[in-house]
Amino acid sequence: MKVVPRSSPFGSATRTRVLVAIRLLGETYARELARLLDAPLSGVQGALQALERDGLVAGRSMGRTRVYRLDPRYFAQRELDRFLERLAEPEADLQSRVTSLRRRPRRTGKPL
Amino acid sequence: MKLGTRSGLVEIAFQVGEALRRNGVEAVLSGGGCAHFYTRGAFRSADLDFILTGPAGHDAVEAAMTSVGFAREGDRYVHPKVRFYLEFPRGPLAIGGDWRIRPKVHVRAGARLLALSPTDCCRDRLAAFYHWKDRQSLRVAVAVAARHRVNVGVIRRWSEQEGHVKDFEEFRRELAKTRVTIRSRRRS
Repeated sequence: MKVVPRSSPFGSATRTRVLVAIRLLGETYARELARLLDAPLSGVQGALQALERDGLVAGRSMGRTRVYRLDPRYFAQRELDRFLERLAEPEADLQSRVTSLRRRPRRTGKPL
Repeated sequence: MKLGTRSGLVEIAFQVGEALRRNGVEAVLSGGGCAHFYTRGAFRSADLDFILTGPAGHDAVEAAMTSVGFAREGDRYVHPKVRFYLEFPRGPLAIGGDWRIRPKVHVRAGARLLALSPTDCCRDRLAAFYHWKDRQSLRVAVAVAARHRVNVGVIRRWSEQEGHVKDFEEFRRELAKTRVTIRSRRRS
């Protein structure tokens, strides 16, 4: 099921969904976001680039993957964090998807 | 003077700063380019970030850049003979949670450049150290503070507000060590 936010105050629905998801995940990458939001990868990548240009998120390369998080240096970071927390509250489906995502480490070779 | 293959980053910064002024664009040099400027090249940057702080639009920036030979290529401006590129990140001009930034005016050979002050340049680099644990940024912040008069009280208070008192103490220790090294080099 597609996760649809109830509002899109960051210019587009995808940008808002991406921001809310990053707020919930802490750190993430485009493919994980696309899977989580059931959105096209290219759309998520475009949203991430726009958000990075606006200084709302910051990305860094880890190997071949670009990892994103909310930019802690953003001048209104605390306010943005609180706003996104509030925006995430009614998103029960997104919250449940994030909760079901396995992100804890697993020793190499250990069977699933 | 025309920019060419031998133009250094500081010369480019002044020419671009002056072109922006002539076209009514308020923009402040920040980031790695500003650190390069204050460390006199000890830290090298490949680009110059100018944060737009005034109301001037895209056309005015475009006109200013064209007047010094830079052309737009995606998000940046490049020059056929210059290895450095220019970017105009969106503002506001802020360092962490502090947006009350007063740029410093530099004038050289009739050209004007707006840049972060040494104190703010130092804070700008420290923000990367505090939030990303980027130790290269710590080294650059120390290099700026060792070469210029910076307001350590302002940096300390800002560090407290950012929640990085321990990291600030590390910065202070590193700065003290660097100052001792510089003094001993001067004596010998």
